[in-house]
Amino acid sequence: MEQNQKSDVIVTEGVTKVYAADGIPVNALNGIDLTIQSGEFTALVGPSGSGKTTFLNIISGLDSPTEGKVWLAGKVLSEMSGNELSDFRRDNIGFIFQAYNLIPVLSVEENVEYIMLLAGVPKAERHERVIAMLKSVGLEGVADRQPTQLSGGQQQRVAIARAMVSEPMIILADEPTANLDSKTGADLLEMMHRLNAETGMTFIFSTHDPMVMESAQRLITLRDGQIDSDETR
Amino acid sequence: MILKIAFRNTFRQKRRTILTALAMIVGFTLLSITIGLSDGAYGGIIEMFTRNRTGHIQVHRAGYLDKPSLYETIDGYAAIGETIQGTAGVEAWTPRVYAAGLGSVGEKSTAVQVIGIDVARETQATRFDKKVIEGSVLAETASHEAVIGKGLAKIISGTVGSEIVIFSQGADGSIANDVYKIVGIAESGDDATDRVACYLHIEDAQELFVLDGRIHEIVVIVSNINHVSKITDALEARLNNSTLEVSPWQVVAKSFYRAMKTDQQGDAISRWVIMFIVAIGVLNTVLMSVLERTREYGVLKAIGTKPTQIFWLVVCEVIIVTIGSICVGVPLGVLANYLLSISGITYPEAITYGGMKFTTLYAEVNVRCLIIPAITVMVSATIVSLFPAIKAARIVPAKAMRTH
Repeated sequence: MEQNQKSDVIVTEGVTKVYAADGIPVNALNGIDLTIQSGEFTALVGPSGSGKTTFLNIISGLDSPTEGKVWLAGKVLSEMSGNELSDFRRDNIGFIFQAYNLIPVLSVEENVEYIMLLAGVPKAERHERVIAMLKSVGLEGVADRQPTQLSGGQQQRVAIARAMVSEPMIILADEPTANLDSKTGADLLEMMHRLNAETGMTFIFSTHDPMVMESAQRLITLRDGQIDSDETR
Repeated sequence: MILKIAFRNTFRQKRRTILTALAMIVGFTLLSITIGLSDGAYGGIIEMFTRNRTGHIQVHRAGYLDKPSLYETIDGYAAIGETIQGTAGVEAWTPRVYAAGLGSVGEKSTAVQVIGIDVARETQATRFDKKVIEGSVLAETASHEAVIGKGLAKIISGTVGSEIVIFSQGADGSIANDVYKIVGIAESGDDATDRVACYLHIEDAQELFVLDGRIHEIVVIVSNINHVSKITDALEARLNNSTLEVSPWQVVAKSFYRAMKTDQQGDAISRWVIMFIVAIGVLNTVLMSVLERTREYGVLKAIGTKPTQIFWLVVCEVIIVTIGSICVGVPLGVLANYLLSISGITYPEAITYGGMKFTTLYAEVNVRCLIIPAITVMVSATIVSLFPAIKAARIVPAKAMRTH
């Protein structure tokens, strides 16, 4: 498949995922062909079980497709080893999960710093970037706190800071506002829009939240593991 | 950071960590006590065996040990003895003459082994005076006296004050026979020896067997039995005599040494059983921990932690608990072995080993009883952590993050 190396960040070709549920095969994704370009603010929508999370997992290399190929930044994910995939995710993808998924034994600052530490960023630079990122998500006063000492909205901000601090090419967010109240959700969404505009990062959300859907530049609707509609605004 | 996470993880489930550590501490202490008692027992046996009988090192004419003979003698033993005494680490030495013969008291006769000894040196080296349980020790100068073994006294009805006649053959081929007054009955701790032993003054024995000042054996006692090998080499170098053979006690008493080694291997099996039980306990808790943190490992992997780093995270957690357990186990092991080295464990009935009787088992406090348990606990805990660590490293992030 020919790719536009400059702007095509994610390319999928015939991506299919079949799960075995109690021995019965279930098609979670059915031959998805999709291209996402850099800087897009895309929302994946659809009813529960339509394959949104599965698709996010596959395009990030957290899971492998039963059939088909995924190119991420020009590289075929299925050709990478486990360690190569981890390095690739560390350097190119930031994750924001519905359940925040912060590391409970690390402080806010350490959680945000963790990925840079894995990448071998010098200590002084790490500290500087963590402080700047916490400031940009409005958490400058809680750097030493443990995740359990924060509210849901604050934890999600930490997750956003962690996802963005290493300036990855893509941010994948799985229902990032699902556990937040409308006001906090709106604040976070606004913040992500701002970061998208400032840094040109590619954002891909899976969501049920109408507010997220409304604010997305591109809305991809999945149904029964297939693309039902693909609308760019 | 991996080490930091591992360290903090160990304190998350305190009860589980304490239980795992307890299994390791108990295993460490039990191993330490087992080794302390084993070393104490074998140390005591070796010390008694070598001190009472063989000495720590022996010097013979080359070939004598393989085929003892009246004719394989050492000349000028006094000069050799001086060289031996001047060697670092040597505490004492004593010459001996050995010959077989027929001993008779009245009308009763039996085979005897004549052992010619330098009374003063033998007393200093092998505590010969302590072996005499009835009568007195031989005079320090040759005076035709004999001390016979307890078993021999019973066989030939020899008593203190009676006379024993010894018949044999001299080194010059002549008939050797003479009469000696029994002045004492000896018990060496080895029944087989006591059934044939007839101790004479070395000069009386040399005269009887026409040895002209020659001897068969020089027994050497060293101040530290652990240095036997080094001192044996030093003696060989200093004597520099190809007609002489210097042998440590392990060579002199080969069969005793082998039997002891076999016994020690038996002890090693019990140690492995202890460690196996501990390892199963550790495996169980580590597996539970990995299972509980499946989601967390999935997240770590998702955000860029390599499988190898996840592997080391699990192994590091186990190693941290193991190091902590060893730190607690060391003083406990030392204390337990120290107390057992003072009070000992009294056997319900005296046990016999190598012909010697033991009534109490004492432990020994040494580096081995700390190093071996430490290595064993560390290695076994690390090995059992490998399976859960591999399991954690192989987690598929998407699947792992679906678990609760």
